[in-house]
Amino acid sequence: MNQTGLRLVGAALVVLVGIWAGFRVYSSRAQQVHGEHAQGVRVAAGEASAPAPHDYTPEESALPPPAIPSTLPAFSLNDLHGKPTPISAWAGKSLMINFWATWCAPCRQEIPLLKSVATDWAGRGLEVVGIAVDHRDAVLQFAGQFKIDYPLLIGEQDALDVAAKFGMQSAVFPFTVFTDRRGQVVTLFVGQMHRPQADLILSVVQELNEDKVQLADARKAISAGLGAMADKSG
Amino acid sequence: MKRLHTAALASLIGALSLAAPGIADAKPWWMRGVESNAADFLPPDVAFRVAANVDGGVLKVRWVIADGYYLYRQKIGVQAESPDLSVSQPQLPAGVVKNDPYLGTQEIYTQQVEATVPYTRFDAGAHPMQIKVTYQGCAEAGLCYPVITKVIFPTAGYAPVAAVSPRHPWEAIAIIGGALAFLFAGLVLRKGRKLEVPA
Repeated sequence: MNQTGLRLVGAALVVLVGIWAGFRVYSSRAQQVHGEHAQGVRVAAGEASAPAPHDYTPEESALPPPAIPSTLPAFSLNDLHGKPTPISAWAGKSLMINFWATWCAPCRQEIPLLKSVATDWAGRGLEVVGIAVDHRDAVLQFAGQFKIDYPLLIGEQDALDVAAKFGMQSAVFPFTVFTDRRGQVVTLFVGQMHRPQADLILSVVQELNEDKVQLADARKAISAGLGAMADKSG
Repeated sequence: MKRLHTAALASLIGALSLAAPGIADAKPWWMRGVESNAADFLPPDVAFRVAANVDGGVLKVRWVIADGYYLYRQKIGVQAESPDLSVSQPQLPAGVVKNDPYLGTQEIYTQQVEATVPYTRFDAGAHPMQIKVTYQGCAEAGLCYPVITKVIFPTAGYAPVAAVSPRHPWEAIAIIGGALAFLFAGLVLRKGRKLEVPA
């Protein structure tokens, strides 16, 4: 093929990319305009069926990825006795910070796991800290009834502000943040956690604390491990 | 020849920068930072879609609930929002009983639920009717959303179901990337050629 021919092929390729890009942008805009003007899909009364995740575009079908900070942000909340407690009170320890609320059933179901993790990992430099985003009285009653023996911090809007510092502006519960002993955020787990998931994450965090693995590799190992567990159960 | 290879490469870069949303979702490793499994769950407006329509002397408020998600009956509320509108307590069908060791017996709804809400207007239709709905639900996979409050306009007949159409965050990058690729390809293709202006 001579130079002119190749040039034409190159130009054709550029045009094809242009058409494709135009179509993508048009589709995206059209969808947005439809959402703004018609406020969504019209469903005839009595004919609606429950949507499944595959009914949505990828943008719609998942919680937006939180912008998680790479290091533990500074914050302070009141403890069970009303004493302001900065998170730096546990500086030098790995933290498992669990955000929860008394009205949230999966949060309550997770409490026994958190209690056992706090006991099992106590001698290995890990501290479980619960952050209850709830009314103080409700938390005090619940903590007494469930005999929560790990540290609890309590707040309402101030606790929501702390959740936002971890990228969870639209807070859902529970979610748990894991940090290493240096205060680096290793991962953030959304939803109720089960023992195998907690063990996987904590074992990787321990390797990180012992300098057996680099942070990026630790995050990758956790992501892969959780993915494999999800595939197995799904 | 070299120039043409560069042009092809420019096109390829353009194509990659304008990659499909599925590819754009998977951020490159150097941009990922701390990861989470947030994508395992639906946004609240997708998990629970709500709409209302006027049906004679009552309002019908319907929630369409995604598979694997549920709403608490006790947490559903409907209030008047527009002036001179009065709404009664929503009438809800019986839900599925869910035993909660802490809160006791709870009724939940899956798939969909419709509340019938008698209303009275005192404005002779002067204002567009507006109601405020509150609801709270969870995912069976182990996640709860805080109470959601929405102001909606009941419609006659067909009810628009609130949907989300967010602009993809990578769209701007795709547009800029595409534009740069075109500029680059244009420069490469033009290089060495004189601009011929008709006399």
